[in-house]
Amino acid sequence: MGKLFLLHHVVGTFLLDERGEIVKGFLAVKDIDENVEQNLKLESGSDELPASLSRVFEELSADSTYVVETEQLARLLSRRGAAGVEVDRGAEPFRRFRERVADIAVELGFVRSREEYYEYMRAFLTELARRKLRAAARRRDLLAAQSIRAIDDLDKTFNLFATRLREWYGVHFPELDEHIPKHEQYIELVYELGHRENFTIEKLERLGVPRSKAEKIAEAARNSIGADLSDFDIEPIKVMAEIALTMYNLRQRLADYVEAVMREVAPNVTALVGGLLGARLISLAGSLEDLAKLPASTIQVLGAEKALFRALRTGTKPPKHGVIFQYPEIHRSPRWQRGKIARALAGKLSIAAKVDAFTGRLVGEKLVEDLKKRIEEIKRLYPKPPLKKEVAGPLPPKKEKEKKRETRRPRR
Amino acid sequence: MSLPVRVSEHPLNRHIYVVELEDGSSKLATLNMVPGKRVYGEKLYNIAGNEYREWVPYRSKLAAAILRGIRSVPLREGDKVLYLGAAAGTTVSHVSDVVGKSGRVYGVEFAPRVMRDFLLVVRDRSNVLPIFADARKPWEYAHLLELVDVLYVDVAQPEQASLTADNAHHFLKPGGKLFFAIKARSIDVTQEPTEVYKREIDTLKRGGFEIIDVVHLEPYDKDHAMVLAEYRG
Ligand SMILES: C[S@@+](CC[C@H](N)C(=O)[O-])C[C@H]1O[C@@H](n2cnc3c(N)ncnc32)[C@H](O)[C@@H]1O
Repeated sequence: MGKLFLLHHVVGTFLLDERGEIVKGFLAVKDIDENVEQNLKLESGSDELPASLSRVFEELSADSTYVVETEQLARLLSRRGAAGVEVDRGAEPFRRFRERVADIAVELGFVRSREEYYEYMRAFLTELARRKLRAAARRRDLLAAQSIRAIDDLDKTFNLFATRLREWYGVHFPELDEHIPKHEQYIELVYELGHRENFTIEKLERLGVPRSKAEKIAEAARNSIGADLSDFDIEPIKVMAEIALTMYNLRQRLADYVEAVMREVAPNVTALVGGLLGARLISLAGSLEDLAKLPASTIQVLGAEKALFRALRTGTKPPKHGVIFQYPEIHRSPRWQRGKIARALAGKLSIAAKVDAFTGRLVGEKLVEDLKKRIEEIKRLYPKPPLKKEVAGPLPPKKEKEKKRETRRPRR
Repeated sequence: MSLPVRVSEHPLNRHIYVVELEDGSSKLATLNMVPGKRVYGEKLYNIAGNEYREWVPYRSKLAAAILRGIRSVPLREGDKVLYLGAAAGTTVSHVSDVVGKSGRVYGVEFAPRVMRDFLLVVRDRSNVLPIFADARKPWEYAHLLELVDVLYVDVAQPEQASLTADNAHHFLKPGGKLFFAIKARSIDVTQEPTEVYKREIDTLKRGGFEIIDVVHLEPYDKDHAMVLAEYRG
């Protein structure tokens, strides 16, 4: 029988002769999802082959030599007992087929027209790319969840270090504390300047302190009531300050990292609430897929489990929002609107998480748009606090939660 | 912003335009296939009922090559183009404008993050098709493609010339054209750009290409050149 060129294409699998004419061929399944699925399986080396390829394999004859373009097809052929197998990439018969593939697809009835061929290919390739992207992003949701936890750990530790340093360095220069409320700036000054004699106007300005403030601090340093310390005593404070600064920088870098990973793993959730909050939701749910399986009402109170259980136990009001409280439009809005906005956001989040986890389509823009409209509507419909119920209702659990969240982040 | 006053076809290509602005300056542009939509923050100009998209030479090496006087721009309406290194689709979008609704641009890209952005361009442009694959292994996407009229290569990879020859062998029609962006510095830091061009061009010639023109892209892009070639197979 001589040489046969075996070519697998999206539209089917074919045996070609040396001139590129089709000797035998089978069309692929037309359904795009199914066709994509079968081709992905072939690519991943699964034993399950695309239907058209299996059909061709049933027709193999022992006295033919088969030419293919991939090692993988060569292996599959050998395993099926084909005697002669060659790999010849870009061989003329393959090129001939590719030159006419749109017409061939029409002639064989896979599609009705060249236009339909291109529409089909575009839909096929888009779906294939999406599915592969999703596979590439798999389990990276866990990296996002771990890094957001690391960020929380860093925040806690950094706050602990900062409080300790303020007290410790306060032995030497207690007045500095009230002048510099931002932790990282306080620590940077201690690390860069050390002894309070170094707190001069010029040096402070060089470190970014505005002139008027620098003057006050320099004066406070000159008149400080703190104890004099030797280099020997200042050194360990500086070492600790350096470590705290490293932690602070690491936190910023991790935040950038989480944003980047989240844009890849969960672009729709990220479009709605940003990478950090999105990762926090994934972390609370366990994984992206877990988040996707939660009902919107649960997403709304994720992170407020304590308050929720207390409410169930004592019969007080359940919390209206968990960690999504961090979404600016919720905490910036008046109290009586928050629960409604939280419900709307949770609804969109639930859709976004499902799309991210199961199809990988990009619907973020639309969700953001819809949410914006809903928030505007809430603001229009409920401009004033409802008179009795809400104001009289018990609010304590909510207050407590807000306070706690604030202490979780470094002051800045 | 200065307003557009006149538009004319670029002398080298019917589907590439020069928009003249009020202040006397002029911009390269293409006819926007998706009116109202920007791809990378470029300006949109409305003239006589048509919308043109500014083609920024600092963002697109093909625009830079045209402004630097490349000898011809062999892109025709209806052409099939295989574009290696599609990235987020900046240049692809202009090629898509030029080949028009009856043309096709297959964009190959292997970095997941940019592929996501590229899919947004695909969504809006009915003549752009995405291929999420490694351009060094054309046989792995041969089942997704057809023969093409034009090959455009900008993958910033050391083995760019050989992967170009490989892709041409699989997909480029005899007589097909090649645009080949060389990023000299990414190939070999120690050598003068001219040396690198020579070696890359030798590889292209051995792969069946005949060089038509080479233009350097400074000041738009330092250390890059655009090679235009024809495939003899
Ligand atoms: C310089 S950028 C291309 C810019 C683009 N041509 C434009 O003008 O809009 C190079 C791109 O090639 C991609 N790339 C590099 N090596 C590749 C490979 N082996 N296969 C596919 N894409 C590759 C990179 O991910 C990157 O997005």
